[in-house]
Amino acid sequence: MSWIPFKIGQPKKQIVSKTVERDFEREYDKLQKLEDQTKKLHKDMKKSTEADLAMSKAAVKISGDLLNNPLCEQDQAFLESMTALDTAMKRMDTFNQEKVNQIQKTVIDPLKKYSGVFPSLNMAVKRREQALQDYKRLQSKVEKYEEKEKTGPVMVKLHQAREELRPVREDFEAKNKQLLDEMPKFYHSRIDYFQPSFEALIRAQVVYFTEMYKIFSELTDQIDQAGLTDEQRERETEAKLSELRALSIVADD
Amino acid sequence: MEVPRRPQPSSFTLALPKPLGAIQKVAKKDPVEEKLQEKDGTTEKNQFGEETFSTEEKSGVSVLVETSAETSEIEDSNTSTVTDSKLSSQDSFSEFESSISEERLAQEAEEAKKKSEEEEAAAKERAAQRQLLAIEELVHSEKNYLRLLQLSTVTIRSNLQKLQPPPANLDSMFLYIDEVIEVSSRFLSMLDQKQVQPGDPRFLEMLCDSFLSLSSDIEAAYKEYLAHYNHITVVENSYKQKEGLWNEIVKVIKASAPDVNATSLSFFLVMPVQRIARYPLLLQTIQKHTDQAHPAYALLEQTAHTSIALNCRINEYKRFREVADKYKKTETLTIKDKINRLNSHSIAKKTARLSQQIKHETGIAPKLVDEEFDAVEGFFYVLEHGILQLLENVETYLHHLQGFLACKTEEFDFDMDGEKAPICYKEITTALRQWILPTFEKRMRTLIHKPLCALRDLLVGPRNLIRKRLDKLLDYEVIEAKSNLSYEEQAVANTYRTINTLLLNELPQFNGLALQMIWSMLGTFSCLHKDLASDMEQLFQSFAQQLPHSSLSPGAFWEWAESTVLQGARSLETLCRSVEDTLNAPVVQPLSPSFQRRLKQLTDKHGSGKIYQVIGTVVGSRDLDLNLTKGELVAIISEADSRGDKRRWLVDAGGKRGYAPSSKLIRYHQPAEDPPPSPHLTLPDGVTGLRRHSYTPESRPLTVVSQPCFQVMAAYDFTARGNHEVTVRAGEPVRVLEPHDKRGNPEWSLVEVRGGQRGYVPSNYLTIMPMGMGPPPAGFLQSF
Repeated sequence: MSWIPFKIGQPKKQIVSKTVERDFEREYDKLQKLEDQTKKLHKDMKKSTEADLAMSKAAVKISGDLLNNPLCEQDQAFLESMTALDTAMKRMDTFNQEKVNQIQKTVIDPLKKYSGVFPSLNMAVKRREQALQDYKRLQSKVEKYEEKEKTGPVMVKLHQAREELRPVREDFEAKNKQLLDEMPKFYHSRIDYFQPSFEALIRAQVVYFTEMYKIFSELTDQIDQAGLTDEQRERETEAKLSELRALSIVADD
Repeated sequence: MEVPRRPQPSSFTLALPKPLGAIQKVAKKDPVEEKLQEKDGTTEKNQFGEETFSTEEKSGVSVLVETSAETSEIEDSNTSTVTDSKLSSQDSFSEFESSISEERLAQEAEEAKKKSEEEEAAAKERAAQRQLLAIEELVHSEKNYLRLLQLSTVTIRSNLQKLQPPPANLDSMFLYIDEVIEVSSRFLSMLDQKQVQPGDPRFLEMLCDSFLSLSSDIEAAYKEYLAHYNHITVVENSYKQKEGLWNEIVKVIKASAPDVNATSLSFFLVMPVQRIARYPLLLQTIQKHTDQAHPAYALLEQTAHTSIALNCRINEYKRFREVADKYKKTETLTIKDKINRLNSHSIAKKTARLSQQIKHETGIAPKLVDEEFDAVEGFFYVLEHGILQLLENVETYLHHLQGFLACKTEEFDFDMDGEKAPICYKEITTALRQWILPTFEKRMRTLIHKPLCALRDLLVGPRNLIRKRLDKLLDYEVIEAKSNLSYEEQAVANTYRTINTLLLNELPQFNGLALQMIWSMLGTFSCLHKDLASDMEQLFQSFAQQLPHSSLSPGAFWEWAESTVLQGARSLETLCRSVEDTLNAPVVQPLSPSFQRRLKQLTDKHGSGKIYQVIGTVVGSRDLDLNLTKGELVAIISEADSRGDKRRWLVDAGGKRGYAPSSKLIRYHQPAEDPPPSPHLTLPDGVTGLRRHSYTPESRPLTVVSQPCFQVMAAYDFTARGNHEVTVRAGEPVRVLEPHDKRGNPEWSLVEVRGGQRGYVPSNYLTIMPMGMGPPPAGFLQSF
């Protein structure tokens, strides 16, 4: 954590105890890890929501393009099927949009806000380190004068150095204490903070998929041959394809 | 490879003038040989050996000639028996000449009459015999044919597949042969299964019935096989190019079929081509030797006609296929190839088409309008557009699905192991990403994407044909009006008609099937979504019940969630603020006396609102710029320089005036105005605006000069350079008489030192010390 390019004489007196320093490091490490994870989750969530939206839009486009295709003008039954499909897709998209909005509000925004705290925390830690360096520098200065013969000029300088040291020390101690106090509190706050997010995430999907199931059951009854297995479907398609290939006008290779 | 449309029976009945003995020999040998063929392999080998040489290298036409020659050979054998009978009657004439008596003559005449009656009966019998032979010939050759086909498809094929490396495209050579074998074996089994021997007159009837009932199957099987035969020759020629491979193949063929002298694959594979053309010949032969009174004669005639019509239809189909094959493929040519291909003929053709088209566009020549075709074509284009668009959309969908799958949202570690919600979420997402969605994607790909791609590929053929039809139509229109067409022109007209007929026949089928496919695919799409939704719903529902707030109704839940989130956000905000305000505050340096004086002086002169602090050392680079040190206080006179540049401010640095960069200045807040902020989370909102500046001093300045408990001392040694200055030593207490010189410059202070000596010292050499701090020597204080 040495951000100062040159070290000023280290004081002999241990100004920060090893345990305090260790505690501080530990808390800070935890925070840094949390920061990474929050950022990662935020990024992933954003990307996945974007992909989700894009997927739903692509599905709407599938049906929309078909509905606009003049094919529908030729065949009334086809038109009806496509209209049903398009309606279903649009409804799905609306529900999806709603779901995404809820997720945005209850998951992504909080995540963003949470990761927004880290820069100021990091800055605070940096300031503390800065203060510590100042403290150390001045402490070693005081020590230097204390070791010297106590003549008048030395006394004046010692006094002066102590005067300088006092606010710096107070500053550092305040900062140190507050950070040691604040960091675990902040770390702990994640549990209560994210609890509703995860619950909301799950609940939103439950609602969405329930609706989706309703929509597509209805649609499937309307436009699909019921109860076909995938193999049957594949065979059927293959049969149609080979029927097409058997036509002389089709080049099959 | 033309199968004759209507074989001319006359050419076969023609009795060839051959040496009698030879004819007789053939006549006797032929049926024997037929019987021998079943038992003795060697004779067969010879016979087929001859055949092989002719079939191997020659085209289909020559093959046909060969087969017809073969049949005529049979004819020969039959006619030879006829001549045989004539021969015997000649014998009787010589006998008649030798006798003289009338009685005898009458007797002879009687005898001759009897004999001729006998002969007639014998001829009838012989005719029946020949009919039987012809029937047997058909049956035997069918059996033999089937046997060889099976040999080639089973033994030779499997042996060829064992070759290392297996020959390419081997399977395509045997593509339609199974259907041919199947129909042939059905034909044979129909002949065999009934308890009727070939000699029975009913057998002929049964044969005809069998053939007629199978005729459509025969047509279907041979149609494809014949259309495919060109491909077989191409593949075989490609094998022949590679000498090593070809030798291997020949070796395999010889080893697999030692009883026939076959030296190529096409020896076997050409057989169906020959066979289908031979049916009419065989049937006609039977018909010729059948008495018109025979009960099955009419049926036989019908069968013979059917077999001929069959051949015609197959030919027609083949011609259609050939035209279609020629034009439906997309040619992938480079520009260079295209240029090389240009010749006067093609240029003339293209120019003629272009001019015809221009005539259409300009209305000079009327367009040939085919409404039926236009409707079908229009539908095709709409369909094509729909398919391409659908495919594109499906691909986009799959792309986004993959993007969704790529987001590993469950891979985070908030160290929240005890909490239900994140655990549930992780489990859900894992299941979703590793099982549910991949399954969905796989089904999408196999059931929708793959067939769509296949369908798209199938669009090429019709599209090319439609384009070619237009070209040919333009050609056709030019020559349509002519009454006499040259051979080439006739060919052009035929090509156009063929393509047009083809498209009119098949394009509607194509459109219908393709539309059905799209339809069913969309049904599948919907069904896939249904399955996905049902899986997801179950998954989420099962976990949602474990959540701590699962009992809340949706409305209440969302209210709770939103308010909790808001609350969290608020507490974060306060935390943030407190961290920024308190922890980021700078270290407050004690104010030096000169600093204090400067502050007081500037505040008096300009008011506290104008005081700014320098946040970094400023070295002036231009005229009237000030050199300022970090932390120095200045008062702002104007927030711009004389030219209105807002980046340079005119400042008063305690006497000196000049410009300083505004970016290095920050408003200085008098500590008195600003109570020290509490370091804890709750803060009144109003103060924050002011509080953002990191240079806000936290505590009050230490001291004022006049306070009695403080003593001013010299901090450094100073040697007087003139008589108005005074020499001080570091640590020497002084009394400040005036904190500035006579001109008001605060950099010098008038002091009185020990012994009452007065003079100026630099203000910054002085420092303030509390009386109680530090252990100054006792005498030091007393003496003051």
